[in-house]
Amino acid sequence: MPRAKIWGFLAVILSAGLFALSLFSFFIINDGDFSSFSSVNLTELNSFTYYSASIPIAAVTLWVLATGFWIGWVILTIKVVPPMPEIVEKKDNSKIKAFFLCLITAALAALLVYGVYIRSFWSLAVPALVISAVILGAIFWVGMAIITTRATLPVNKK
Amino acid sequence: MRVLIVGYRGNPYCGGQGIYIYNLSKELAKLGAEIDVIVGPPYPDPLEEWATVYKIENLNIWSIKTKDIPLEKLKRIFSPWNFADYVLTRLHMFPEMETFSFRTFFALKKILKTKRYDIIHDIQSLGWATVPMKGYGIPIVTTVHHPLTKDREADLMSNRGLWDKTTTILFYPLVMQSFVIRRLDRVITSFREGIDELQKAFGVRRERVSVVYNGMDVDMFQNTGEKREENALLFVGNTEDSKKGLVYLFEAMTMLPENVTLTIVDDGPPKKMTAADMIKKYNLGHRVKFTGKLSYDALVSIYSRKTILVMSSLFEGFGLPAVEAMSCKTPVVVTTAGSLKEVVSPDCGILVPPKDPVALKEGIIKLLGDKKLRERMGENGRKWAVENFSWPVAAKNTLEVYKDVVREYRSGK
Repeated sequence: MPRAKIWGFLAVILSAGLFALSLFSFFIINDGDFSSFSSVNLTELNSFTYYSASIPIAAVTLWVLATGFWIGWVILTIKVVPPMPEIVEKKDNSKIKAFFLCLITAALAALLVYGVYIRSFWSLAVPALVISAVILGAIFWVGMAIITTRATLPVNKK
Repeated sequence: MRVLIVGYRGNPYCGGQGIYIYNLSKELAKLGAEIDVIVGPPYPDPLEEWATVYKIENLNIWSIKTKDIPLEKLKRIFSPWNFADYVLTRLHMFPEMETFSFRTFFALKKILKTKRYDIIHDIQSLGWATVPMKGYGIPIVTTVHHPLTKDREADLMSNRGLWDKTTTILFYPLVMQSFVIRRLDRVITSFREGIDELQKAFGVRRERVSVVYNGMDVDMFQNTGEKREENALLFVGNTEDSKKGLVYLFEAMTMLPENVTLTIVDDGPPKKMTAADMIKKYNLGHRVKFTGKLSYDALVSIYSRKTILVMSSLFEGFGLPAVEAMSCKTPVVVTTAGSLKEVVSPDCGILVPPKDPVALKEGIIKLLGDKKLRERMGENGRKWAVENFSWPVAAKNTLEVYKDVVREYRSGK
């Protein structure tokens, strides 16, 4: 087997395995009972220990939320009049959606900051799970592409 | 003068940056400057005759679906910068400039162990890592033909729906460019109004901006002496770019006599449908034709044969087709948008307000009806192009900017 394919298989197996492990740890190991997570007491941790983990996670999450907010804000505020004449004027409710995008991202950001402040387990776990899923998903997808891509064209049987 | 030119794309046949790097480095070398070039793919034609070239890796995978990425590139995706590129492109961002600047930052660290430069010239990449590059103690100038805010506005004008707009906003790295450009020692732009545009878009201080007109190959773009066609208009440019204002040209065409034809130098259907749809809407199918992409020789020939070049742009950062046409002694009818009112002198062509099809039509009719005027404007255009827009002139003026920046930098201003 070509070395690239071996890397492809490794990427798929590792990323799928790690993601399955996260899902197992969150949803299966506790029989769907999330109350034990809610009672995790992070206040016992030394502040340096806690913030050394929470600040990077919160920073990445806030960056994503800020990007979402910024996109909504740009759509809400940008002036691109007059519209191009060739565009058929049809109902465009993107400004309304943009307003909700701003509202939701701002609310989530506030919730995250509050959660980090009161040392809620979920404020770290949910962003960490999502970030891991994105990175593992990317690795999985590339691995699949490596496995399924032909290095040369198939032989023409005719 | 030891100059390091840095550009994230180097193809000399398409894309302004590659052409700029190739010709500017060549002419600067002729003026006695020592030139090194750090460049990303597609790589330029060999520059080794006059420059040392350092090639930087980039997979160029934006807009390519993962399953369509060639295996050779897939194998290299897990290196740190390539993976960052991959993830960000999947999120609809265009990270080429960011990652190029980081790759360049680390490549330069190695190069500086054996070399020294008086100045670094960034060709509109403006990546985050350009700022820490200042730590190497070398002044940095950048060339920005026009702020990307203009492109984003034009795209947003044609976008409908939240998703289209979101992907447009994610695509343009304006926050990064705005942050970086204000921290560089000088910004070179290609027209005077560009100073205001840069100030408005990025808050760049006026005294930090220098105007150097772009260059073009005036030896290549010369009238071939072929017989001119009558009533034959020419448009050269990307028909999918809404900044070109093609719709106004088509509206003007509907008001022009039936024997006036238009040739568009770009791909038509099925590759590009925007112009084709408009042609259908205005019922101009029998008067408009597409040539597809042309070789330089064919382009020079078509400039020399057609009666007038028309540019109906809503914004131009330079307006290369107008200069190429003038260089081929072809009169032009252009709008006053962006740089065009500087690039086209009133004795080389007719200038009309943008978004005004009636004025465009009247300008075209005036020129089509007066052969003597066309010939006079053609002669003036050639002279104007050679005096202002040749690469030797552009290189000489750029070198003056370098000297000024180095002087300021060393005097601690």
